[in-house]
Amino acid sequence: MKYITAIIFVFFTLNLFAQQKQFSLDERRKYIYYEVADGRALNKDTLLNRAQVFINKFYKKTIRQVQLSDTSIIAKGKVIIDKTVLIAGHPSGEVSYSITFQARNGKYRFWLTDFEYIPYQRDRYGNYVASTKNSTPLEKTPSKLMANEWKDMVVATYDQVQKFGNELKAFINTNPSIHSVKDTKLLYIEKW
Amino acid sequence: MKTILCAVLGMASTTCALAQTVSTSSPLEFSGSVDTYFKYDFAKQPGNIKTYFDSENNSVSLGMIDLLLKKKTGKASFVGELSFGPRGQTESIPDAAGGGSSFHIQNLYINYEFSDKFSMTAGYMGTFIGYEIISPVGNFNYSTSYLFGAGPFQNAGIKATYKFSDKVSLMAGLFNDWNLYTATKGVSSVGGQLTITPLEGWTAYLNVLSGADVYGYGTIEDLTTSYQFTKLFKLGLNAANYDMKGSDNGYAGAALYPQIALNDAVSLGLRAEYFKYKDAGTVKGDQYTALTLSANIKTGGLTLIPEVRLDHNGDQPFLNKNGLAAPNAGQFSIAAVYAF
Repeated sequence: MKYITAIIFVFFTLNLFAQQKQFSLDERRKYIYYEVADGRALNKDTLLNRAQVFINKFYKKTIRQVQLSDTSIIAKGKVIIDKTVLIAGHPSGEVSYSITFQARNGKYRFWLTDFEYIPYQRDRYGNYVASTKNSTPLEKTPSKLMANEWKDMVVATYDQVQKFGNELKAFINTNPSIHSVKDTKLLYIEKW
Repeated sequence: MKTILCAVLGMASTTCALAQTVSTSSPLEFSGSVDTYFKYDFAKQPGNIKTYFDSENNSVSLGMIDLLLKKKTGKASFVGELSFGPRGQTESIPDAAGGGSSFHIQNLYINYEFSDKFSMTAGYMGTFIGYEIISPVGNFNYSTSYLFGAGPFQNAGIKATYKFSDKVSLMAGLFNDWNLYTATKGVSSVGGQLTITPLEGWTAYLNVLSGADVYGYGTIEDLTTSYQFTKLFKLGLNAANYDMKGSDNGYAGAALYPQIALNDAVSLGLRAEYFKYKDAGTVKGDQYTALTLSANIKTGGLTLIPEVRLDHNGDQPFLNKNGLAAPNAGQFSIAAVYAF
């Protein structure tokens, strides 16, 4: 019984944490996701290279690099916001953002900001497509009728951005060599 | 306790690891809509305005429930969309089981993307002709236009789409006769759509469909376009011309769709339409003008659509309160459309 109580407690604690997640505001009063991370003694070129590989390999469809210097990457990206219930849902909009990655020897930082939302609508073929070209800054105060939906969308954006940040850090902090089938070690089962 | 905690952490780690796996498969998409409405005809005559759907008078009526599944794996995807209820059954053209007790397939097709630029689609698809569609989720106004009713609803066939650039793409296809799951006259129509995006926010579709249809054989040319002038103001236009092969019959019309957003939850939109069946010999074709003013009030997945519609035809095809021929008809409706 006490185990069940403990699990329920952990579950509600996690839920509480989940509800508390939110963007910070930068000096321009714009939402920002900002992280400084330990580069595990890697030099800045390696850190920059790994970040570049990560973006171009895993996010090439949604992130476009716009500027590269010897210490930083500036790119534009977007996340698709999903209305998912259990296992099925559909995209409900997209949030574009700008991302800056900066590296120094032994550490790096990145931030995502300038979040702008474009709602999707279903077209005649059943595909979800942008309903307008005009995006709305995420910091905007919505009308009362749209307040709950807007809040959900901001939380969903944060979740996706946080996931991106965690994946980027995991990729940089581990060996980022990208395996192909050819590189995969063969397992011989004839002899046993 | 340790065992349980380890198990929970283990499961969490496994979930994270799985989430990091790069997959070319998208999750199964599930979406749809439900709609219902009240309509009141000012002359208290049901079916006074003879466009599709919402034909009753002084009645809370059902639209349809629409269910859509979509899945993409690699370069292949499918869409399957079924609707049930009057708007998706008896009031739509195909009635698969007959007797008005059937469902209506809105979309059922498979698509394959050979490259980022070239794709092919086969199956039964929402028509590429026109501004309005059957699903109320895709329309601003709840009632439909004369142009919508006169043109195709869906086309079964196979089509290829090539994207020349972000601003220009071309679709060409072979289709069955309109609105049929299986052809009655063979794969008898050829159609094409040139999509142009001259400016950001402005898209124009130039459409042609020629071959077998509900009238016989004919050719329809259609322009559907909309331009988002400002964040708050959008203007749409639909113009179409249909000529029936071997006769003077046909129709032509145009509709303007100005829409203005009052805020992020409330928008107002007008549909101003002119529609005419062509004169065939000495038989004069009907011509209609119609004004429809609608509001879209959104909260979450729900959209409320209060609407007033006024139609005019000098040949008096409408009925007044006394059941006599009248040149004008009007109606008020309020619809609730929930999309999920």
